[in-house]
Amino acid sequence: MTEHSMNATAMERKLTMTLDGQPVGFSEGETIYQVAQRAQKNVPTLCYDERLEAFGACRLCVVEVEGVKAPVASCTTKVTPGMIVRSGSPTIEKYRKTLLELVVSENREVDVNPLRGFASQELTTLVDRYGARTGRFKGKKSGTSNKSDDNPFILRDYDLCISCYRCVRVCAEQEGDYAISMMNRGFSTQITTEFNGRLKDSDCTFCGQCVQTCPTGALADKKALRAADLPGEVTKTRTICPYCGVGCSVDLLTKGDRLVGVQPAMDGPANGGALCIKGQFAFDFVQHEDRLKKPLLRQADGSFKETDWDTALDIAAAGFRRALEQHGRRSIYGIASGRAPHEAAYSMQKFIRAGFGTHYIDNCSRA
Amino acid sequence: MSAAGNQQLIERFRHQPAPLLPVLHAFHDRDGFLSEDALRAVSEGLKIPLADLFGTVTFYHHFSREPGGLNKPRVCTGNVCSLRGGNELLAALKSQGATAMPCSGRCDEPVPVLRGHETLVGTTPENLRASASPLPAPNPGGCEECIFTHIREPGRATLEGYKRTGGYEALTKAVREMSPAQLLAVVTESKLAGRGGAGFPTGVKWKAVADAAGNPKSVVCNADEGEPGCFKDRAIMDHDPHAMLEGMALAGFATGAARGFIYLRYEYPETFRILERAIAEAEAAGLLGANILGSAFSFKIHLRRGAGAYICGEEGSLLNSLEGKHPFPRNKPPYPVTHGFENLPTAVNNVETLASVPPIVRNGAAWYRGLGRNGHAGTKLISLSGDIQRPGNYEVPIGLPLQTLLHEWAGGPLSGRTIQAVTMAGLSGGFLAGDSLDCTLDEPSIRSKGSFLGAGGIIVFDDSRNMVAAAHDAMEFFAHESCGKCFPCRIGTQRLTERLNGEAGPRDLAAWTEEVRDIGAAMRATSACGLGMAAPFVTDSLLKFFPKQVENHVSAK
Repeated sequence: MTEHSMNATAMERKLTMTLDGQPVGFSEGETIYQVAQRAQKNVPTLCYDERLEAFGACRLCVVEVEGVKAPVASCTTKVTPGMIVRSGSPTIEKYRKTLLELVVSENREVDVNPLRGFASQELTTLVDRYGARTGRFKGKKSGTSNKSDDNPFILRDYDLCISCYRCVRVCAEQEGDYAISMMNRGFSTQITTEFNGRLKDSDCTFCGQCVQTCPTGALADKKALRAADLPGEVTKTRTICPYCGVGCSVDLLTKGDRLVGVQPAMDGPANGGALCIKGQFAFDFVQHEDRLKKPLLRQADGSFKETDWDTALDIAAAGFRRALEQHGRRSIYGIASGRAPHEAAYSMQKFIRAGFGTHYIDNCSRA
Repeated sequence: MSAAGNQQLIERFRHQPAPLLPVLHAFHDRDGFLSEDALRAVSEGLKIPLADLFGTVTFYHHFSREPGGLNKPRVCTGNVCSLRGGNELLAALKSQGATAMPCSGRCDEPVPVLRGHETLVGTTPENLRASASPLPAPNPGGCEECIFTHIREPGRATLEGYKRTGGYEALTKAVREMSPAQLLAVVTESKLAGRGGAGFPTGVKWKAVADAAGNPKSVVCNADEGEPGCFKDRAIMDHDPHAMLEGMALAGFATGAARGFIYLRYEYPETFRILERAIAEAEAAGLLGANILGSAFSFKIHLRRGAGAYICGEEGSLLNSLEGKHPFPRNKPPYPVTHGFENLPTAVNNVETLASVPPIVRNGAAWYRGLGRNGHAGTKLISLSGDIQRPGNYEVPIGLPLQTLLHEWAGGPLSGRTIQAVTMAGLSGGFLAGDSLDCTLDEPSIRSKGSFLGAGGIIVFDDSRNMVAAAHDAMEFFAHESCGKCFPCRIGTQRLTERLNGEAGPRDLAAWTEEVRDIGAAMRATSACGLGMAAPFVTDSLLKFFPKQVENHVSAK
């Protein structure tokens, strides 16, 4: 088959549907929501996280499909050829506003600090977009915060929880930990761990993915929140996590020249929004007062004394040379730090191999 | 002893399909509650993450997590029993640690109390007694029946009694003389449709399962009769269990399924034992199990007991519950006919639907169609309860006037009273009142009045009742039973309940009405399953038929 005829066949097979009066192409297996997002319809959602299996809980993404009586959740409905969809008629928009007014009626707060987590502004943004009246459907509040969970990383502020189950699903589907689940049912639903205990007694690995997918800030980054009262705007700087060799993309959160938190890059090619406990929460060393900034030289009595780099390097080089002369090249063994960036790891192995003529080089990330 | 015991309980079911519920019940029965130790053992034995298992257990109303919980009395304070002293009985039994339970399907003989695995009925602690569930009265209209034809015969629940009047003849005929396609044709021609309330044509459903790719296929009998005011399936299972079993086997033959499940609601412990015995009898007689009647057809029935969750009557929730998952409804499509139990083709049918099949096969499709009136095919079981002379189960020709049922068959309202309203579809269809009571018992007629027949539960409220309170009790039930997955239902049922009991909501009638209507509209249009879609029938019909009572309620706050 020539390239030309192959393209022609693909064109013939091109699947189309009608979205808000416009013909739109789609691929086999796509949902209405995915097609609508590509067409920039900005369909609202709260329980949706594109990395997770579509769940269909918040019902904000409902759309009208011609020939179907009730609106359907666009996130769970696959497109079929010739389907005619209206993504946001006035009727649908009214349902969405009512739904948002119902959602905010169970919550204590709608405006939360963006330091709480990556997705923490989703509810606020939708409430503003729809002009939803926060006090309209007054009544009992749902969710009970678990302030007694004394872990240093994750704030479990369920007063703000809207039971979208993104945390439970990300923990199961992305992380494979199944550390959290939902207990009870209906309005008494509560996100829980086994026996409703503390995270540190559960299978939680404190990867923080639940925090970052939470659309209301009910799960929040305790470490980032330490900087809640620091003046200044939060700046995000894209970089690569310096820990292991995976190369997770992260956004460093800074206020002024202070590193205040880390968020995973949802579009990071290596991690797709995932991080581990170290990449997510272990950044205090960067600006820690005990961090070594100048070389220290061990004295005869065992104590350390600050020195300059030239002196330190000369002494180290002399030590290496002495070992090499007295015991041979196999007396040298290099272990690169897992925290060092890739370029440094490369230099390290070159230093050991070219400098000493030995293959005795390793990296602590392997352990 | 404890550890070895744990292992034995798990091993008993570990290699069976759908093991979680029976394993949990085994621990619950042994210890009288589900301890942390038990859940850890089950988690390990069945390889279910502990957090998931814990969450799932807490979903069910009847699994107790406190020592001694199993045997503490649970008193029905459902919508009918609360008219009959359920709340007072609960208060009187408080000292025994009694708790409330929603409608437990004994509305024809209130008030039921569940103690361990025994149903007691009575109105005071002193007159509580164990009692077999009531039989349907002889058909008051003299109408020919399909399901209840032989149910009143003594010994009907035994294999011998069932076979006396043609029991298992349909199955014998099917496996010896018919092809699955011929059986499908009979069921399709009979126009039998789902009697659990959805009304989907049974023949079409079975054909879809038969045609679907994937094996093994399953037949699931939905015996989770949770709709308040419905107790018809209980009558079939208690008094004519083999009819349902034979119907299941016929469904298996027609669809090519070799395994069947009965998902029975927790609140029917006596029924569980009756079914257990009936299955054993049929298996011993070669009517169930491997190579039925010497044919190549095998069909094994597994009896599973729920643990108290109305939503598990919704087929997606039911299948998730059977599979040991959190019992949330499933997103549809795909439907169970292609992606049912363990994502394989599955026919989920109601008890009444299945029990209708043997007589249809014996007497023919035309016979069944002819049982209805005004062009409607067949019969419907109606569970009638509340403020009525003779509550109970009635098998009516589809198309029978509602007033005939209420006044001629069931004797009308209690002395000196008039009928103010009735519910439809248990609670799910909301209220009918006034001229709307002049309808016939078939979907087109009742839908034209703004409600639906559904599973066939009708609760009567006479003129002494406060309809806002009745609506509140109904909505409170839906809020209690909402699974918590979709937002409109989880929050909407709660907010409507608060507005109906005056805990919250505007004091201005127009604002109150607008709120209630807006919540209802969003629930009906956007809820993920029938619970949230149906609940607003209650408020909408309240506003339609009882505006004055609503006005009094709002202004009285």
